[in-house]
Amino acid sequence: MHTEALSALGDLFGDRLRTSLETRICYSFGATRKTFLPDAVVYPVNAEEVRRTVLLANLHRFPVVPRGAGSGFSGGSLPVRGGVVLSTERMDRIVSIDTENLYAIVEPGVVNGTLKEEARKKGLFYPPDPASLKFSTLGGNIAECAGGMCAVKYGVTRDYVLALEAVLGTGELIRTGVATVKGVVGYDLTRMLVGSEGTLGIVTRATLRLIPLPEAATTLLALFDGNRRSVEAVNAIVAARVTPSAMELMDRTAIDCVQALMPVPLPEGTGSALLLEVDGPEGQVVREADLLTEVCRAHGALEVRRASDAGGRDELWKLRRSISPSLLRVAPVKLNEDIVVPRSRLADMFAFLSDLSARKNVRIVNFGHAGDGNIHVNIMISGEDADETRRADEAVGEVFRKTVEMGGTISGEHGVGISKAPFLEMEVGPLGVAVMKRLKECFDPNGILNPGKIFLEESAVRE
Amino acid sequence: MNDPDLKALTGLCAKCGTCRTVCTLYPERKAEIAVARGKIALIEAAMGGEDGDAEAVQEALTDCLLCGRCERACPNQVLVEEIVMKGRADLAEEVGIPAWKRVLFGKVMTSPAATGIARKAAAAAQRLLPGKIPTASGLNYRFPDGLGGEGRTVPKLPAAGFLESLGNAEAATGEVMLFVGCVFDHVFPEVGRAAYETVKASGKSVAVFRDAACCGLPAMVSGDRRSAAECAEANVRRLRDADPGAIVFPCGSCLLMFKRNVFSLMPKGSPGYDDAVFVAERAVDYASFLLSSGVLDRIPDPPPGQEVGEIGYHDPCHLSGTLGKGPEARKVLSRTVGPAFAEMAGADLCCGYGGTFNVRDYPTSSRIGENKVTVAARGGTKVISTACSGCVLQMRDMAARTDPGLRVVHVAELVHQALFRK
Ligand SMILES: Cc1cc2nc3c(=O)[nH]c(=O)nc-3n(C[C@H](O)[C@H](O)[C@H](O)COP(=O)(O)OP(=O)(O)OC[C@H]3O[C@@H](n4cnc5c(N)ncnc54)[C@H](O)[C@@H]3O)c2cc1C
Ligand code: SF4
Ligand code: SF4
Repeated sequence: MHTEALSALGDLFGDRLRTSLETRICYSFGATRKTFLPDAVVYPVNAEEVRRTVLLANLHRFPVVPRGAGSGFSGGSLPVRGGVVLSTERMDRIVSIDTENLYAIVEPGVVNGTLKEEARKKGLFYPPDPASLKFSTLGGNIAECAGGMCAVKYGVTRDYVLALEAVLGTGELIRTGVATVKGVVGYDLTRMLVGSEGTLGIVTRATLRLIPLPEAATTLLALFDGNRRSVEAVNAIVAARVTPSAMELMDRTAIDCVQALMPVPLPEGTGSALLLEVDGPEGQVVREADLLTEVCRAHGALEVRRASDAGGRDELWKLRRSISPSLLRVAPVKLNEDIVVPRSRLADMFAFLSDLSARKNVRIVNFGHAGDGNIHVNIMISGEDADETRRADEAVGEVFRKTVEMGGTISGEHGVGISKAPFLEMEVGPLGVAVMKRLKECFDPNGILNPGKIFLEESAVRE
Repeated sequence: MNDPDLKALTGLCAKCGTCRTVCTLYPERKAEIAVARGKIALIEAAMGGEDGDAEAVQEALTDCLLCGRCERACPNQVLVEEIVMKGRADLAEEVGIPAWKRVLFGKVMTSPAATGIARKAAAAAQRLLPGKIPTASGLNYRFPDGLGGEGRTVPKLPAAGFLESLGNAEAATGEVMLFVGCVFDHVFPEVGRAAYETVKASGKSVAVFRDAACCGLPAMVSGDRRSAAECAEANVRRLRDADPGAIVFPCGSCLLMFKRNVFSLMPKGSPGYDDAVFVAERAVDYASFLLSSGVLDRIPDPPPGQEVGEIGYHDPCHLSGTLGKGPEARKVLSRTVGPAFAEMAGADLCCGYGGTFNVRDYPTSSRIGENKVTVAARGGTKVISTACSGCVLQMRDMAARTDPGLRVVHVAELVHQALFRK
């Protein structure tokens, strides 16, 4: 970056501009194993500073990469073309919670779990619950359209974003959407920004919908001998017209992994597990939990465990929650994909993955949000064996092709970033890519915002 | 920097960011460089040959309270405290000790008693402050410039330490060994005495560990592993020789040293390892010992005149967090003061002391600490009890700065009061 640009940033940010190697290293990573050094890091505290940063970037032509908690799984916050990392961590105020109209106004650096907690104190509920909710920011959630366990019942981030304030790639500050549930005036620019991975605009404020806090919840853990039966149970639950707030499926590969490293007592022969949760009014929760238990038993569950108190529910979640930490001990590198297939194809997909694992001779661990067909496919490799890495890369390609063939999507919630850029066209087609690029042109004509993401070629800031 | 042990430890970090939300320091700094993940990235970069400024990296590693909150929240069980301490030690070899610490090391490590730390420390000690702290004591890390500086309220040092107050033959041998620790010996001898007398009330014979070298934690966290190892080796050897059935620690940080950190300094296969295991197996926190000893059965009714809920308990990071001994002290308190004890607001917030951190950055340390005691006081607590020397030092200072009505005591003092009430 030019010294002129840096000194202009220095005038704007004072000691909130950092250029030391040490600070740059601390913003060179996300929750992927890749690192790219930025030239500088800035910590804006308001929208005006964000706007002026982007104006300077247009003047001096340097990339601006917005970053929340850096917990993204697709490399979205990595400064792959250098430039300035714009960290939102000091824009972390909950501006207001409106208990009459049921919405919250937040700055982008607020952590998801913090909003949840503050809303809860007022008897309200912000549902989107990525597993990263304790640390990922709402700005990052909006930019990735984060999903979570309860998506099957409550939907994903986009279903809760009413209005946004954002700085476009031109440096203009736009306000989109309205604070009411309904609103159809013009194109839906709010949805355009949701899931745009920081390539169209930098969110500086968001109005998020809240709902009344459910009164009670119950958790069930149903253990099966294999995926066939558990997937049948999932379909039967849907057919029984119960919508659980979580429906997590753990494949044999995931159960084995946990059992080897941090065992949880399970009945002999467990080869698949379903974690179910129902919430709502007390009486309804009891009825639904009874019904789910019955359905699971009818589909051959070896055992169904149930808990309604916090401690007991926590205990049941243990199996699910131990997967991620135990994975890291299986192999140092995991290729972590989050495909979605129509729910009716889940069993076929699991069978395909098991066959693929054998054919390519790589360990694949699967688990996921069965209720919405979202499967986390983790291909575990050493990272040091070139042939193994090649086989794993081939396996990823096959998984994606199969997914699209089944009418699914190659990413349910982690986004494209850099890791799925090569596969974009495979899913959306050439025209889809072309229209997306035209849209990018409108929002960010000089390619300032987060260059090198989503699209393969469109990689550098325009000179 | 090239340290295979360190590489294996840092390799487990997935950069997920969980640590950022729980870090005691993060709200103060609001920058990645302050949290575990940032520090780990810096160490990895240094090991990967990134040509950084080693002093700047050392500076970043030093900016940490070693409270361990990150480590306990980490889904991948990354040993952050160990990484930070090891990183500090490795860098100390490269760039020497950070400038602000040189003062401390100058006083402690280069004195004739420096090597004597490992020997008859207390006896060999020359006096630093008039008649006060032995040169070899870990206290010199805590009060580098003779206790002063930056508006700190300094405890008045008593004329005699607790050990000094014991007669020569008193508590020389016994089946239970009491490890008093520097602070409860020299700065707050009343705590040392309360611990001693209440442990003795168990009816068992109690010896006070007199040959104690410093527990070694202050040296260890400062990156001076050699001195720390010397302290540890000397201590475990002498404790083994004394062959006690149990070793009771009124201070959680000293206990952590013998339960866990010692194995980083004396790993399996090193000469004193068996002794270290012997000590670790017998080392027990004060509250757990009381619960198992029957002392509490001898406490009469809860003392009169105490308000319901006026006494709280502060969770020392190392004791409640790392070692998981939070419930024990609470049980002791309930049985000692009855309904006067209640769960305190913000009980598990770090007090901000962080050993040498308090010396390095007193303003930040005291902001964290003032917040801690203010939250407690607002919740209705009038007496904060705890069981770690650093926490007592810090919170007494913080209480003095914010609310002179707030008292900070060691659990042992409350037990003592209840047992020996006239
Ligand atoms: C352990 C773990 C579990 C996870 N579980 C889930 C899960 O269940 N579901 C799920 O969906 N995801 C999950 N994720 C992925 C990740 O947490 C989400 O993508 C999250 O939304 C990212 O938020 P962040 O604050 O970390 O954003 P970052 O990673 O910092 O950024 C993500 C993207 O958002 C952009 N961005 C950030 N802030 C802004 C802003 N203010 N304006 C515009 N763009 C911005 C960045 O440029 C980047 O492209 C998980 C991650 C981890 C580490
Ligand atoms: S919580 Fe653990 S794994 Fe996650 S970033 Fe922090 S140290 Fe690394
Ligand atoms: S030990 Fe405490 S202060 Fe240090 S990084 Fe971890 S949480 Fe932060």
